[in-house]
Amino acid sequence: MATLNIMVGHAQGNVPVTILRAEGDIDAATHKILQDKASEVIEAGSTHILLDLGGVNYMGSAGFRAIHAVSNMLSETESSGLTKSRHLKLLNPTDPVARVIKTLGFDVYLDIFQDRDEAVNSF
Amino acid sequence: METPFTSTLDRIETLRKCAFLQGLQDKVLDDLASRAEMLWVAGGKTIVNRGGTGSKMYFIISGHARVHHGEVTLANISSGDVFGEMAVLDSEKRSASVTTQSESVLLSIERDVFYEALSTDPGAFKAVIHAILQREREIIHEVKTRSTKLMAYEKEMEIGRRIQADFLPKSVPVIKNWDIASRFEAAREVAGDFYDVFRLNSHQHLAVVIGDVCDKGVGAALFMTLFRSLIRASSLYGNMGSALVDASSGGASITAGEVLLNSILTTNRYIATTHAGSSMFASVFFGLLDTESGELLYVNAGHESPIIFRQNGETELLDITGGVIGLFPAATYAVETVTLHEGDLILTYTDGVNEARNSRGEQFTEQRIMQVAEPEANGTETFLRIILDAVKEFRGTAEQSDDITMLALKYQAHGTLD
Repeated sequence: MATLNIMVGHAQGNVPVTILRAEGDIDAATHKILQDKASEVIEAGSTHILLDLGGVNYMGSAGFRAIHAVSNMLSETESSGLTKSRHLKLLNPTDPVARVIKTLGFDVYLDIFQDRDEAVNSF
Repeated sequence: METPFTSTLDRIETLRKCAFLQGLQDKVLDDLASRAEMLWVAGGKTIVNRGGTGSKMYFIISGHARVHHGEVTLANISSGDVFGEMAVLDSEKRSASVTTQSESVLLSIERDVFYEALSTDPGAFKAVIHAILQREREIIHEVKTRSTKLMAYEKEMEIGRRIQADFLPKSVPVIKNWDIASRFEAAREVAGDFYDVFRLNSHQHLAVVIGDVCDKGVGAALFMTLFRSLIRASSLYGNMGSALVDASSGGASITAGEVLLNSILTTNRYIATTHAGSSMFASVFFGLLDTESGELLYVNAGHESPIIFRQNGETELLDITGGVIGLFPAATYAVETVTLHEGDLILTYTDGVNEARNSRGEQFTEQRIMQVAEPEANGTETFLRIILDAVKEFRGTAEQSDDITMLALKYQAHGTLD
């Protein structure tokens, strides 16, 4: 059975950034773990999240739905009209995940970085 | 610590609460009680594991426990109930796991002790068999009730499937100089593929839509009907009052490209705002084909790239021009143009084709579609059948896990309608 672990880290850029490092598969069975952890850090005050996908080898549609849900949680106070999220960005997706991101066009909606520091300072 | 086993009478009374032992004589109960082991167990402790072996059965003196297969609860049991007796009586593996739900007092009895105690009373075996049969009847009753409910549920699902099928075209339009065919093979589990082919009001343009709603199950099916209807309604009726004209003729009227873009933007915005909390999305390829000139305007919203098989043997992919629809209200999309010439064929499909898996977990892939395709085949029906046969052969004994949808259009040489 697929498992997913989420580790929480923090970095200081122009704003404080919470880094969620996901390890495992993000699918129908595990996506809620990501959503719950994001909800927890947002309730604790996080406003900018960098989702590190370096340890994720599979992401199904449930994973993309979870990412959208997290983006929605972060943007509740933000006025709409923006094409890309200013509060949620992705870091270092593995090849299979990057392929799906590209097929679905998720890179249109979210910034994707390979370098952690560059990502943190982009917020 | 005070135990309910301080006197002979207490022991017998406590054990007699267990239906399983009710028919036994006092001396057998007393014998069992004196040779049994008392256990005080905290809540949340798994006492027996499904698939494991064991020689002990347990009686719940006080407390609550859950009989389960992993996360699925089969029964909740409490004071007076017995568990683990099946594996003890037939020496097979444990058929379910049992985990305490609260602090509990249990009595455990070894198989040999149980049989020895029973052998002292000629009526004891009869009483235990009676108790087992009683339980079996209860289980049969429960199974019957559940299967009746399941049948009602399956009937509802079947009705749902039929309604969903009604959202797909029953036939594709017959258009001069165009050979059009579609295939839809539903997976066992309800999924969210859809396609549509219909003429715009201008009659010069043919709308060609294929989409795949994320996830599976009833939710995907419901959203499929929504996406499909919004796209059709917005492109047919969303521009009422504006006469559709050919893009080249200019003027104040709306162009085919605007119809296409409006439809995608409207559908995206509606679902991304009205159903924001659902996070449901669809990948959609929407093309407007000028059936006179062969010019195809399209938006590819996060969908598998349609493949154009040119008459000269070359292939072209129509890559995405925007992200999936239904999530971000402000999403933008580019309208691209490609022209089909006589003898060219365009194949649109969903990921049930390229991501079909065999028993080794390998995917069919876009490359294999191009390898097996025979665009020169006699008609698009045959063209699609050849691909579908190849997918099925590749899949072998593995289950079809997703809907398979394909739609092909071929620009025929004028006057050859075979």
